[in-house]
Amino acid sequence: MIDWELIAKIAGGGFGSTLLVLAILCIVIWLIGLVVRRRAAKDKK
Amino acid sequence: MFGLYQMAFSGLTWGNLLMLLIGGGLIYLGVARKMEPILLVPIGLGIMMVNIPFAGLMVYAPAEPGAIPLPASGGLKEIAEGKIGLLNLLYQYGLESEIIPLLIFLGIGALSDFSPAIARPLSFMFGATAQLGVFVVFLIAYLTGWFTINEAICVGIIGGSDGPPTVYLTVAKAPQLLGPITLVAYSYMALVPILQPPVMRLLTSKKERQIYMKPQMREVSRLEKVIFPIAVFVVSALLVPASAPLIGMLMFGNLLSVTGVTDRLAASAGGLFVDVLTFLLGLTVGALMPAVVFLNPKTLIIIGLAVVAFAFGTAGGIWGAKIANLFLKEKINPLIGAAGVSAIPMAARVAQVQGQKANPRNFLLMHAMGPNMAGAIATSVVAGIFLSMV
Repeated sequence: MIDWELIAKIAGGGFGSTLLVLAILCIVIWLIGLVVRRRAAKDKK
Repeated sequence: MFGLYQMAFSGLTWGNLLMLLIGGGLIYLGVARKMEPILLVPIGLGIMMVNIPFAGLMVYAPAEPGAIPLPASGGLKEIAEGKIGLLNLLYQYGLESEIIPLLIFLGIGALSDFSPAIARPLSFMFGATAQLGVFVVFLIAYLTGWFTINEAICVGIIGGSDGPPTVYLTVAKAPQLLGPITLVAYSYMALVPILQPPVMRLLTSKKERQIYMKPQMREVSRLEKVIFPIAVFVVSALLVPASAPLIGMLMFGNLLSVTGVTDRLAASAGGLFVDVLTFLLGLTVGALMPAVVFLNPKTLIIIGLAVVAFAFGTAGGIWGAKIANLFLKEKINPLIGAAGVSAIPMAARVAQVQGQKANPRNFLLMHAMGPNMAGAIATSVVAGIFLSMV
């Protein structure tokens, strides 16, 4: 007996969660880069 | 022999003979063809060790009819009494405890340079979309009816083409399939240059493959490199706590290599330390493949599904890059998305070769290394999500 609800949760929810977590990481790393570069540019000035 | 003791011949089955040939074949591929030698040689030898009857290097506990047997457990006393073998101890303390895959990830972290992913954080999205193969194969594996949910997620994670998360998840959820899954995962990683190009050509036009990307990426400062592993660990552990052991070890190893004050530790973690652990992993995984376990219809299905996993992983990465191109002013070559399947650094090299074939001016290696490294993080996140959901 296939538990459709469970597999939809794992496949759809799992893939969606992976995209979300990596998207958050992408934004965090981009923000860190931005702040560090701005600070470095300011120090140079 | 002459009625004095029992030779192994009397217990030898056709299955054992076939497995001895497979073990020999893997050693050949490792030594002569240089295919993942550090893994295939010990796996091949481990297979041979466990398929010699009465050798007792790895003893299996009796299983219920139809069930796949698992190694017996015990301690030094049981070894002395002949109830278990040396490899049982390696399995119990190294794999069942999850120590070996986690420590290997520490070494991989020390050897990894995440600069390309830091320079282009969008790489994380290609690492994520390339996990498509994991989820597609999970679905197919479960719907075939041959695998339980626990087994299906472990078959699916092969598509992440990252060894330690695959071993980590399989030990936790389907240890009876650890042998075939690990063997297939590592063998297919070596086959990435054969598996990926047809999918890449099928899903991209020549014009897309020709897209030129400047070879130089922006320079990443030391401060960014030091903050990166800490930030990745904290964020992913907060969002997916079950991924913390894997990502924690990977990022810890990486932190050692970028601080500038722990170079000796980083060199040790990424040197002999990781080599010895990989060798022990290979030997123990090989010993998980006696004929009775490996010669099973499930193994053949796993071998077939792994191709599907790599194909959909490659497709997911390419589609991710194509979607990104809809919004980007400066277009990226979609081939670099395919490197999100991990298999470091093989998949990045494949993107480089295919990109250069289409446009000899293209030098995509560093651009592809970003999604490649992000893929390792993404597979650990997926393993954590599976551990939390199933």
